[in-house]
Amino acid sequence: MIRAGVAAAAIFLLGGCATSSLVLLPDDEGHQGAVAVLEADGVPADTVIAQGNSRTKLGTRTPVAKPLGPNGLKKQEAALLTGLPPPAKSFLLYFEPGTTTLTPQSATILASLRAEIAARSGPEVEVIGHTDTVGGEQDNDRLSMKRAEEVLAWLASQGFDRSMMSAVGRGERQLMQPTMDNVDSPANRRVEVIVR
Amino acid sequence: MLRLPLALAALAVTVASPAAAEIARIKQSSGVALIERNTQRLKATAGFQLLPGDKLVTGKDGRMSLTFIDNTRFAVGPNSRVSVSQFQYDRTRQKGSFITRVDRGSLAIVSGRIAKSDRDAMKVRTPNSLLGVRGTKFIVAVPK
Repeated sequence: MIRAGVAAAAIFLLGGCATSSLVLLPDDEGHQGAVAVLEADGVPADTVIAQGNSRTKLGTRTPVAKPLGPNGLKKQEAALLTGLPPPAKSFLLYFEPGTTTLTPQSATILASLRAEIAARSGPEVEVIGHTDTVGGEQDNDRLSMKRAEEVLAWLASQGFDRSMMSAVGRGERQLMQPTMDNVDSPANRRVEVIVR
Repeated sequence: MLRLPLALAALAVTVASPAAAEIARIKQSSGVALIERNTQRLKATAGFQLLPGDKLVTGKDGRMSLTFIDNTRFAVGPNSRVSVSQFQYDRTRQKGSFITRVDRGSLAIVSGRIAKSDRDAMKVRTPNSLLGVRGTKFIVAVPK
């Protein structure tokens, strides 16, 4: 009896130590995604784990997800989640027709954009310029780039290092509001700023 | 406010673009937290820019967090060794492929645009499994 118990405990320990595990959680918006096991111990597999708030031992071709239960996450797991960076945040700025001048409403967003970047540790800023379909494609490529550059230059003037920022222009190729050619559209004359 | 002379704006273009290969940036780190790049061992300080192939290594009191250019987020726990073995991302089409290897330790992941772009475009390898990520938040732990 005693021996069997010791042997069982030893097997449990070995299994517990060597096996990698997966904890699956809903994302921050409450959606539940899935993780597929494509391969286990070098052998192809095809098991989808889709149960939220579950723990799964990996290494077999048909792993079984178990609910986290009343104890929930382990302390180290909770600490890991707390350490995740904040999600990326996107800002939209709109422009007067054919210019690099912000609309009065968009000018008021600049302060919150600046505050968002300042609040982050190790920030990265991606600035993407767009135009509406008024004018030629090449002119719009140039105008979209100029809009992005103006925003970037303003951020630099506020003390943000240029090495954290990048600017691109996508002309009229990614319309927010689909239109025919040569259509004036305030929604399409924009710069998107993604703060990570 | 946003009216700068054109010459200055043009100058901004050339200076603005960071090294094309940047794939992620360190947000925070504590304790022993290093990036192994070829034969170099670099300190993973806030703002550090990662390249494909970099290995994230932490000591027993070490941690680090980072955000990738496709919005994927990582938190690396203590005693870990995690490699970004493949990372390709087309910012315009918002598509790519992403393979991470967790040799030991723990890694929390919130997947981003690559995982959304195609089925199993993002994969995570552990010593005994290969996982396909289908848009979610999860933790992978690989005990020593």
